[in-house]
Amino acid sequence: MIVWLLMLLVVPKAPATTHTVEIRGMEFHPAVLTVAVGDTVVWINRDIVPHTATGHGRSRWDTGQLTQGQEGRYVARRAGETSYACTLHPTMHGKLIVR
Amino acid sequence: MSRTAHRLLACALTLVFATALHAQNPAPAPAAAPDLSDPEVAHVAVTANSIDIDMAKFAQTRTRNAAVKQFAATMITDHTAVNAQAAALAAKLGVTPADNAVSQSLEGGAKQARTSLEALHGAAFDRAYMDREVAYHQAVLDAIDKVLLPTTENAELRKLLVDVRPAIATHLEHAKQVRSQLGAPVRTGM
Repeated sequence: MIVWLLMLLVVPKAPATTHTVEIRGMEFHPAVLTVAVGDTVVWINRDIVPHTATGHGRSRWDTGQLTQGQEGRYVARRAGETSYACTLHPTMHGKLIVR
Repeated sequence: MSRTAHRLLACALTLVFATALHAQNPAPAPAAAPDLSDPEVAHVAVTANSIDIDMAKFAQTRTRNAAVKQFAATMITDHTAVNAQAAALAAKLGVTPADNAVSQSLEGGAKQARTSLEALHGAAFDRAYMDREVAYHQAVLDAIDKVLLPTTENAELRKLLVDVRPAIATHLEHAKQVRSQLGAPVRTGM
């Protein structure tokens, strides 16, 4: 037990990473992104028109409307797959996989 | 921009929006575009964008269909953003939009289209509005691909067209998707 606790203290956890999804040409790039629990995902809008990245299902995250050049962030707290879309443009889809 | 570029742009815009409006309201299309100045071309572009915004605002007051309402909201948001970008480019190029015969013709056509839509309610209104939006965005997309991009030489105007094109294509898909949910055959009056 003591050894296990010591290991928890000694073995470093992988540092959280920040991933970027660019929204350009009315698409999410990359459309499918795999991240680790604790990582941050940043969506940045490069288009003239506003967009959102809005999760479906249990993970109900939403960047809100992002105008050109604006960013929205989400910290992945729970493992699983989430499909997401732009609420303004329902033909735009993406997927976030948290492992 | 050269005078030839002006003429091409003005003709294209006139063709595009006259065709789109004709799809909704079979009135005679305006005559060929006159040789417009930079300020007049800018006014035509802003007017054409504003017409779709005004139509969407009217649709929001008339429709009870959630998908149509959402589509109209997106049109207001997006065409407002495109208009702001176009206005910024015009300002950068030192162009102040000036009213002209083509803009007035577009506004006249839009008024007729609006009158036709005002007579409709419920599902009939939703179908007519979405038919117009499908025709409008298809016409704009065709003009960008077949006339504007192949002929535009001004680098900044060309970049604006390239940046706007995916939004117009997405609007078209969105409009078709909403229209297909409304039942009854899609109009093919183009």
